[in-house]
Amino acid sequence: MRQLKIAVVMLLIGGLLTTAAFFLAFYTAEVQRFGTVTLSEEIDSAYPLVGVSNEGLQYERPWFSQKIFYFHVPVAEASFLVLILSAFFGVRFLTTRRKEYDTKSRIAMETALTFVALTMITGVLWTKASWGVWWDWEPRLTTYFIMMLLMVAYFVLRNSIEDEERRAVYAAAFAVIAAIDAPISFFITRLIPSQHPVVFKSGFATSNLLPFILAQVGMLMIGYAIYVMRMSEERMRERLEVAKEALED
Amino acid sequence: MARGAENRQGSRGASRGLSWRQYKAILRKDIVMELRTKEMVTSMGIYALLTMVVYQVALSQAGTAFDPRQIAAGLLWLAFIFTSMLGLNRSLVHEKDQGCLEALLLSPVDRPVIFFAKATGNLIFLGIVEILTVPVFSFLFLQQGSYEGQWWMIPVVLTAGSMGIAGVGTLLATMSVNTKGKDFVLAVLMVPLMYPLLLAAVSATTVAVLGGADAGSQFWQAMALIGVYDAIMLVACFGLYEFVIGA
Amino acid sequence: MGDNHTDSAVEVRDLTRVFGVRKALDKISFDLPSGAFLSIFGPNGAGKTTLVNVLTTLTAPSSGTATVCGLDVVEGAVELRSRIGLISHNPLLYPDLSAVENLEFFADMYGIEEAEQRVRELLCAVELDHRRLDLVRTFSRGMLQRLSIARALLHKPDVLFLDEPYSGLDPHAMDIFDSLISQIREDHTFVMISHDLAKGLELCSHALILAKGRVVLSETRSEIDDAEFAARYRSIVGIGVA
Repeated sequence: MRQLKIAVVMLLIGGLLTTAAFFLAFYTAEVQRFGTVTLSEEIDSAYPLVGVSNEGLQYERPWFSQKIFYFHVPVAEASFLVLILSAFFGVRFLTTRRKEYDTKSRIAMETALTFVALTMITGVLWTKASWGVWWDWEPRLTTYFIMMLLMVAYFVLRNSIEDEERRAVYAAAFAVIAAIDAPISFFITRLIPSQHPVVFKSGFATSNLLPFILAQVGMLMIGYAIYVMRMSEERMRERLEVAKEALED
Repeated sequence: MARGAENRQGSRGASRGLSWRQYKAILRKDIVMELRTKEMVTSMGIYALLTMVVYQVALSQAGTAFDPRQIAAGLLWLAFIFTSMLGLNRSLVHEKDQGCLEALLLSPVDRPVIFFAKATGNLIFLGIVEILTVPVFSFLFLQQGSYEGQWWMIPVVLTAGSMGIAGVGTLLATMSVNTKGKDFVLAVLMVPLMYPLLLAAVSATTVAVLGGADAGSQFWQAMALIGVYDAIMLVACFGLYEFVIGA
Repeated sequence: MGDNHTDSAVEVRDLTRVFGVRKALDKISFDLPSGAFLSIFGPNGAGKTTLVNVLTTLTAPSSGTATVCGLDVVEGAVELRSRIGLISHNPLLYPDLSAVENLEFFADMYGIEEAEQRVRELLCAVELDHRRLDLVRTFSRGMLQRLSIARALLHKPDVLFLDEPYSGLDPHAMDIFDSLISQIREDHTFVMISHDLAKGLELCSHALILAKGRVVLSETRSEIDDAEFAARYRSIVGIGVA
């Protein structure tokens, strides 16, 4: 019960932090620019005029879609951490054979799937805004797409097995192998030559770093809270099962 | 009791020799059964041919300007990954059929021996299908244009790629054989896990088909990635197999 | 039960097998002297199969210990496997191999010396020598069961486990099976799971009734009054079903 209270507090703080990060991202963070845009007449813009050519006036082009970075990357990183957590509980399960670790591993995988889905949505939005298409087989998107498929496969596997213990063993083994596969696919998609550029430029201004860190910490707290709340729900269900069993005897 | 003591000493002394004998026995049994029924190779071979027909349909409107060599590698690996799943499922259904797996587990065999024997068998069957498919595929699709790659690259990448498919596939098929909807579950588990391997294998195979100025370095880069994938995943499957087969 | 502790083939102490809240086995304890024949009865889901799986090293216990032939089922698992055999209602044979190939395959798995001779010997003993080169696929249920006895005896095990060996056998095949078992009765310890009360009692020297993972009755043959035993069994099974 105490853990649940902590989780609720974490959820609130996490929510506040991510919200704060959003505000900072839009109001204080430096807007990154890429390229210039040529307009036929002069406009009132916060972005500097960089030159005049015979086609018109050249303004620096603000990269607004880059703002999604403050949401997208923390979610993506959180999803990966939770996947590792799930695999860790899988290993614990295989060595101890205690059902609670199976439950933990499953709940962690659920949480990871939620986060991967969010990553995919934000990634698709970014792709549309930046490249003008909804989907592109860009390494990062591809990796998360594969990760999402792996997580869906985990639940397909679970649902197709009757025997409780066998289900737990197979699920644990698959969680481990999926967590090993995900980083490999992360690197291989990057190392196999393809036509697309690396998406996010590295190098931060301090004004960008702060909202990023806040969002990251906030997102991890939300992830933890989701996990704990789902866990306590599962524990309640198990206690109910015990009570039912006791009544039967 | 005296007989028991004798047995015990025997089993301890000859344990490595015994593992080798068990490995050969399982592999031989799988090959004999396959030669007798020809179930796996026929079904995989016919399936591979059918994919060729589907490819023809897919490319039918592409026009003469389109050079199928550009996507030949992708088409080939697509055929391999799907046919391999067919064979992998069969190879474990045999064990499951009459409870033979239980008898196998009751014998004093180290579980990894079963993994390696099964994976070797699957590798051999997959290899046979590949050897049959590649010439047919080239005959059907790659006759225009001259061959500019280096032919020896093809068996190299096929071997390395098939090792990954056979190893990971053996673990996954051992799981999927105990599920409802075996084939579907195997596909759902296998394709995303195979993604990095396929990507690297298609890259290496493309180089082998098209050649090019820096073909060598590109090929070996992709091969290195396949090697890393194979090494890591095979170790993981080897480690997990004992848990999975005992469940 | 078990007045002869010095030479027990099976020793089970507080054996428990749980997963989550479900207890398949709940603190089971019993001894079985060497050369005995134990029949285990019980309703479906009583834990009979789990108990045999633990004793045959296929499933690890959650707590408690079990030793077979003086070997712990966890620590001595690999060694133990070469000293036990299983005859199940499933033939556990490859249908696409011949009788000889099947036995030779398992001879390799057990690392048996002079396998060819041993296989010959066993095929004669179960009267299948004339069909030795035929595929197992073509065998009748009774022949399969005989061949599966040969398979279980290949490595000369000390303890034989029988898992509902009569299911699916016609009366004639049952008789043949019985006579084969009586031939090897002297040299082995037997543990049998059975639904068939009459058959189980006919053969056994010890009997055990399991329900909900617990031992509810454990007696030697001489203590058993058949009618009373049957009545108790029925009342227990009745509870198990409800």
